Amino acid sequence: MIEFTNLNKWFGSLHVLKDIDLAVTKGEVVVVCGPSGSGKSTLIRCINGLEPFQKGRLVVDGFDLGSSSVRLRELRMEVGFVFQSFNLYPHKTALENVTLAPIHVRGLSKAEADDRGRALLEKVGLADRMQSYPHQLSGGQQQRVAIARSLCMQPKIMLFDEPTSALDPEMINEVLDVMVSLAREGMTMMVVTHEMGFARKVADRVIFMDRGAIVETADPESFFTNPQSERSRDFLSKVLHH
Amino acid sequence: MFWLQLNRVIGYWPVLLKGIGMTLALSALSLLIGVVIGFAFGILRAGPNKALSRVVGLYVDFFRGTPFLVQVFIVFFILPEIGIELSAFTAGVVALSNAAACFIGEIVAAGIQSVPTGQTEAAAASGFTRAQQMRLIVLPQAIRVVTPSLVGQFVLLIKDSSVVSAIGLLDLTRSGWMIVQSVPNGLLVFGIVGIGYFAICYPLIWLSRRMERHGQAPIL
Repeated sequence: MIEFTNLNKWFGSLHVLKDIDLAVTKGEVVVVCGPSGSGKSTLIRCINGLEPFQKGRLVVDGFDLGSSSVRLRELRMEVGFVFQSFNLYPHKTALENVTLAPIHVRGLSKAEADDRGRALLEKVGLADRMQSYPHQLSGGQQQRVAIARSLCMQPKIMLFDEPTSALDPEMINEVLDVMVSLAREGMTMMVVTHEMGFARKVADRVIFMDRGAIVETADPESFFTNPQSERSRDFLSKVLHH
Repeated sequence: MFWLQLNRVIGYWPVLLKGIGMTLALSALSLLIGVVIGFAFGILRAGPNKALSRVVGLYVDFFRGTPFLVQVFIVFFILPEIGIELSAFTAGVVALSNAAACFIGEIVAAGIQSVPTGQTEAAAASGFTRAQQMRLIVLPQAIRVVTPSLVGQFVLLIKDSSVVSAIGLLDLTRSGWMIVQSVPNGLLVFGIVGIGYFAICYPLIWLSRRMERHGQAPIL
C-alpha cells in the first residue's frame, strides 16, 4: 500500500530523511515515534505529497510520487490526513467541514454527503454538535471532527501527524478511542505519536526514527520492553518516565 | 445677506442633486469594478507565481505612488494620443476603478496572507484544486478579515472621485464650482458640498468602525 525505497529528502543543506526503506501493507497499523526533529512528520507528509523529496522512490496505492506526472489530487482522495493542529475550516460548521470535500472533490450530491457526514459525526460521538462552528468545540471535539472529515472521503489510508499532542490530557482518550476503533475496522494507518498505550493496543509495528533515519522497527511489545538500539532506549526512558 | 445667499444656493438644488447623483454613480460603478479587479490583483499578488506577483506589485506600486489627479490626466488627455478616446465619465470611471483596484488589491493580498497555511494544507490534503482552495477555504476567511479595511478604503475613493471634476465631469465638487460663480460665497457653497460628501461617507465610516469593533464581518 505504501512503499518507500531508499528515499532521501533535504531542506536546503539539511538532510531530513535518510535512506528510508519501509513497506506498509493493506490493513496494517504502523506507529512512528522518535524525538522531535527526527523527521517523523516529514516522513508521513511525503506520503500524500505535502512534502516533496529529492531522491529515491515512494509508491502509494499505485501512485508513484517521484514521477512528475503523478496525479496528486487523485492520490489525496485516497489518503486521509489528520493534523496536529486540526486545521478545521473556521467559517464552516462541523457538518460542513466534513462534507465539503466529498461534495466538491468527489462530486457527491449535498444530500448524499450530508447522510455520510452525519453518520460519521455520530460515529465519533458528535451527533449533537453537527451545526457547531470549530471555535465552539473543545480541542478533542475538533480533532474528532477532523478525523470524520478525512473519513468522509472514504480513504484507503489514514495518516495521523501527532493527533493528540495539541490536546489537554483529559481529551486525549476520546480521540485515541476513535483511532483504535478505526484500526480495528482494518484501516491502513500510519500514526506519528508518543501514545504508547495506543501503540500497544493496535499497532502492528513501531518504527523509531532519529535524525532522519529509521533506527529500529519492531512489534510494539518487544519495542517497549526490549528496545534494541541505544537511542531508542534513551528515548523511551525519557517519554515513559515523566 | 447670508440668508439671501443660502436661499439662492438652495435654489440651485437641481444642480447639486445632479452633482450628488454623478458622484454616487461614478463612485458606485468604480468601486464595483475596482473590487472585482482588486480581488484578482490580490489573488495574483498573494499567489504562488512569483513573476506574476511581482508584475502586479509593480503596477500597483506605480499607481499608489502617483497622484490621482495625474492618473486622471493620463487617462483623459494622454490615452487619446494613442487613439483611445474616452468620454469624461468613462475616463473618470477608468481612472477611479484602476486606483480602487490597486488599493483593494493590496488589502486583499494581505488578507489572503493572513489565512494560516494549515488551512490550505488541509484543503490540499483533501484533494481540492488550487482554485477550489482559494474559493471555498481561503477567500471566505480573507474577506472577513479585510472587510472593515475595504469599507474604510471605499470612503477614501469616494472622496478621491472629486478629482474628476478637473476633467469637466459635473460631480458634486463641480456643481459647487458652478454655483459659486453666481453666489460668491465659497465658504457657504463648499460647506454645503462638504456636507454632501459627508452624508455619503459617514454611513460607511460608521459601518467600518462597527465591523472593526465586532472583529467580524458578515459571512458572504
